[in-house]
Amino acid sequence: MIAIPDLAEHLLGLDAASPLGRLRRQRAEILGHEEATYRALVLPEAPGGVSLAERAGLALRGALIERELPLAAHYRALLAATADAAVIAAAEAFPAPDGQDRLSVLFRYADRVTERPAECGQDDIDLLAALGLSPQDIVAVTQLVAFIPYQTRLLAGLRQLQQERAA
Amino acid sequence: MTRFTMEEVGWEPRLPPVEAATATPGQVAALEACPPGQRGSAYFRTLVHDPASLAERGALFTKVMYAAKGLPRAERELATAVVSIVNGCVYCASVHARRYVELSKQDAVMHALLEHGIEVQGLDARQQAIVDYAAGLTRDPTATTAAGLAPLRAAGLGDLEILDLIHAVAMFANANRLMQALGRSVPPAEG
Repeated sequence: MIAIPDLAEHLLGLDAASPLGRLRRQRAEILGHEEATYRALVLPEAPGGVSLAERAGLALRGALIERELPLAAHYRALLAATADAAVIAAAEAFPAPDGQDRLSVLFRYADRVTERPAECGQDDIDLLAALGLSPQDIVAVTQLVAFIPYQTRLLAGLRQLQQERAA
Repeated sequence: MTRFTMEEVGWEPRLPPVEAATATPGQVAALEACPPGQRGSAYFRTLVHDPASLAERGALFTKVMYAAKGLPRAERELATAVVSIVNGCVYCASVHARRYVELSKQDAVMHALLEHGIEVQGLDARQQAIVDYAAGLTRDPTATTAAGLAPLRAAGLGDLEILDLIHAVAMFANANRLMQALGRSVPPAEG
């Protein structure tokens, strides 16, 4: 959809040939799997029961909760390219509404997994299943929501190394 | 603070795991790509409901924890145990506490961390720097600045070691949430 070789370096304005870019390539396999995990979760060729718009919305909420603003801007642009106005508005509404409609339940789940994972319970999974999500969809949603905190900490750590070099 | 333990903790999924008899070819292939010791576990058989994400994220996990050189494996385990304590994942903390002790023989250090939490006293400078960094990046990633690397540098960590530490902390922001959302830790007394 968008030709970005590496999302982290795109968001950080990091040149692959810079010292930090070369350092990352000492862990080239990790870099490759990070990017492939992101694509498998956010931009899958076969999205199954969770649409690309819903995936972008879930990713956006995670980035907003984590206050990772460049990552949020990326997912906001992705959402704008895939979703209708109602989903776009709902994705940035905090807290998520109490309703039992699909988006409200999905977004409440994303918020809990991101902010208070220790409070997750059987009820959370049962609510997703009651919406008609298959086990594959539930695992995909959970993998996606749980991957945004990875991206957030990767970006924060790389930013520290960038700032250290600039000092 | 005694809910964390180095004893074996169970993990009970909140979705029925995939059974070998009914697995699709895609699920079988994704499990076969996982480490042999793990592919039969309830956790992997739950994640394999979505084969594509299991394959890529599983490969990422393996490289983050086991890639050669860089941060010693024991210190990756120390960092991931600390992240798991901060996030409250009793299962993950027990697994990675045991691996840290196996690799480092620092039994007393890990017992103190599990018993008293990450504010514990008496760590050496390098342990302290790793514990503090892992906890800070876990709790408030966007509040970190370059100054946060200074204790790691003073303790002798090089660029690749710090990159490995970042990867380990990030990986457990992810792993803890998967474990906590898709299942629950079962303490030894209940098991």
